[in-house]
Amino acid sequence: MAPPKTHQVSSQSTTTVIQGLWKTYVDDTPSKLKTIDAFLVFIMLSGIMQFVYCVIVTNFPFNAFLAGFSSAVGQFVLTASLRSQVNPLNKDLFKAVNPQRAFADFALGSIVLHFFVYNFLG
Amino acid sequence: MRTPVSLLSLAALLVASCQAKLSIKAGKATISGADATVTHTVNLEPSKTAQLKLAADETFKMVFTVFDDEKNVDVMPHQAFLRFWDEQTEDEGIVPVKVARDGKARFSMNIRKPPIGLPPTTGDPLKVSLILGSFTYEGAVMPLFDITLPPSGSVPPHPDEASYHPQPEIFHTFRPDQKLPPKPISFVFAAYTLAPWLVLIGFLAKLPISLTPTTKTIPFITCLAAFEGLLIWYWVDLYLGQVLTYGAALGLLTVVAGKRALSA
Repeated sequence: MAPPKTHQVSSQSTTTVIQGLWKTYVDDTPSKLKTIDAFLVFIMLSGIMQFVYCVIVTNFPFNAFLAGFSSAVGQFVLTASLRSQVNPLNKDLFKAVNPQRAFADFALGSIVLHFFVYNFLG
Repeated sequence: MRTPVSLLSLAALLVASCQAKLSIKAGKATISGADATVTHTVNLEPSKTAQLKLAADETFKMVFTVFDDEKNVDVMPHQAFLRFWDEQTEDEGIVPVKVARDGKARFSMNIRKPPIGLPPTTGDPLKVSLILGSFTYEGAVMPLFDITLPPSGSVPPHPDEASYHPQPEIFHTFRPDQKLPPKPISFVFAAYTLAPWLVLIGFLAKLPISLTPTTKTIPFITCLAAFEGLLIWYWVDLYLGQVLTYGAALGLLTVVAGKRALSA
């Protein structure tokens, strides 16, 4: 009877761990970071949807697929770097960059990314 | 003072002598057989055209004297050529004639060892004319006789001949154009791709943040929205130079608005 019990325990502990992680996240994360996380989830879903379409249906205007997918990837990277720069827990890592400066960089990077994406969209 | 006078007289002499025309006299053409017996003789005169026929084993000989028809003096021209011209195929050959200092010219031809300038012959008569050229006399072209030579052999084809004909036509097979998927499928997947927006709106509604812009942030947000509008405009209408110019102007505005929005 021992093996099933440990299996049960391990699966139980996995769900417990995940629930604990989620609880900590909801309770301890500042709402600004949660906003950025929501945006990150949105970008990831957009990228996945475009990729699924390309694989299942067609990649016909291939430049359009590349433009859309690369805009999702690029925006994800920019937003993730913004999140790590504005995180209060990382303040010691980014002494020269204050959150306002990080946001300005994020805005500028996004504009430039959008410009290149529109160029490639065709 | 002497030199210019002598030059003038030399020039006058040249002008005077250039009026004189070259001509031939005492012209005679003979055709002799293989055993050197003369079979045919004809006198050559500038106005008359004789008809001659030369067989493969016969020798053609010609003599004449070149003279200046004004002063009636034998002269040596600077150039003397025989021009062989085939009227049907329009082939032409030039064979030089050697003229001695006293104006006497000799020419002989044997088909077994033909002169190099002879054109390819078909069996039609070749029109032969004499061309005389000189620096001091006016040159002359005079038709002398028509001669029928045995037809020349065919030319062997050049080793590169085959590559100068039209090659077989090339037909390219192109890949067929890619097609768009049917509209219902496109609509469905467009809806799927825009679905994450709903997810985002759901998240933002649940989060305890205020999305209402304040007076500090409105200009900055407007500038960012204007940038997006400029990019969409670029997508449909503008050229690169225009969008970069407008973008630079808008960028300055955005920097100012952004400094104000992000300042503490």
